[in-house]
Amino acid sequence: MVLAVTALVAGLFAYQFGGSREVESRILTAESRNTSSLARLRAQHAALKQQLAAYAPTGAYIVVDTARNRLYVKRRAAVLLDAVVSTGSGTILDHPDQPERRWIFDTPRGAFAVQSKLVNPAWVKPDWAFLEEGRLIPANAGERVEAGILGEYAFGFGNGYFIHGTLYTRMLGRNVTHGCIRLNDDDLRTVNQLAGIGTPLIIF
Amino acid sequence: MRHRGLFIAVVLAVACFDIRLAAETPAPRRDPAAQRQALLEANTVLQDEIKLAARPQTYLLVDVHQGVVLVKARGIEIHRLLLLSWRARGDQPPMGLFRLTARPPVDRPKTRPGEDATEHPIDLSDMPAEYQLILEPSLVVAIGPPVQDHPWLWLRGLIREGWNRAFSKGSDAWLRVVLPPESARSLAWSVNEGMPVLIGRSTLP
Repeated sequence: MVLAVTALVAGLFAYQFGGSREVESRILTAESRNTSSLARLRAQHAALKQQLAAYAPTGAYIVVDTARNRLYVKRRAAVLLDAVVSTGSGTILDHPDQPERRWIFDTPRGAFAVQSKLVNPAWVKPDWAFLEEGRLIPANAGERVEAGILGEYAFGFGNGYFIHGTLYTRMLGRNVTHGCIRLNDDDLRTVNQLAGIGTPLIIF
Repeated sequence: MRHRGLFIAVVLAVACFDIRLAAETPAPRRDPAAQRQALLEANTVLQDEIKLAARPQTYLLVDVHQGVVLVKARGIEIHRLLLLSWRARGDQPPMGLFRLTARPPVDRPKTRPGEDATEHPIDLSDMPAEYQLILEPSLVVAIGPPVQDHPWLWLRGLIREGWNRAFSKGSDAWLRVVLPPESARSLAWSVNEGMPVLIGRSTLP
């Protein structure tokens, strides 16, 4: 047994540190090295940095850390708001009768922008909300509307996802939502003051 | 008992060997040719990053020279993870723009109709601390914790790496990155399949 383990480890190391394989890397040609002066390259570097900086938001932008359930509103390096939020639970719900319908309750990651701002929004409950409650999906659209649970504002960022308020403030700081980002009332008001339609939103 | 002791001794010897190798990361040379090479690399990385920043997306920037893994969007740093050490074949870390094709799997709890879907959420602690990121063009980035803190996870990563290189086709390039376990989990949480990954020098030497 000991011999087998020793042989395995030794084999792995011989394989790992053997000289037969090379890292795939870009080898810059001798010609380019010779023709490029350091000063010119440094000037090019500065220009490229400037070009990159032009893509950074000039006004306020929102960053959401879904791992730690934090929302920040920033302007350049300054943090204007640091708020505790609830984000997606990451769980799965399958439709009981339609196996092709499945919901994954994740907050989407990526770069977005605030696309809509609703004042005193009502929640139009999607199908999964009824299934989760063990209820039938209503045929009448009016039965889907539920007022007073999303807070004073809702900021849409696409595909039915919103930053909104919550009645469940004790759950803030935890991954408990169906993908939306929940805030308490005070922080939601601050977001309303600092952000509007077009405000960049980065979620990771 | 004696066998167990011998096995632990072998693991420790292997661990010490790895630490020594990790510590032997080549120091940057200061001659003009090396500086020119570094500048060219930094400029190439910047050119690639400008293309990424122009699109609405998050991306990773792995700079082993600076010792960081950055989550970025629109050219701004969103999240910073400090790497403890790195290793690649031939003392040369891979460089270039890649795309993540396979991220570590997430074991998502299922809820049944009538159950509260938010009762058993996944969180950061459900993420692995030792895993591989498979990138395109062919590159494997092995993420793991430091050997002295988690020898078993480290050994598992090494075996996985050896296995993959022995039996997979066309994935000669690899980079091994050692992160604290919390950072490794945080990285696993933040990455998406299809996410661009830029590897290279992001600052001037």
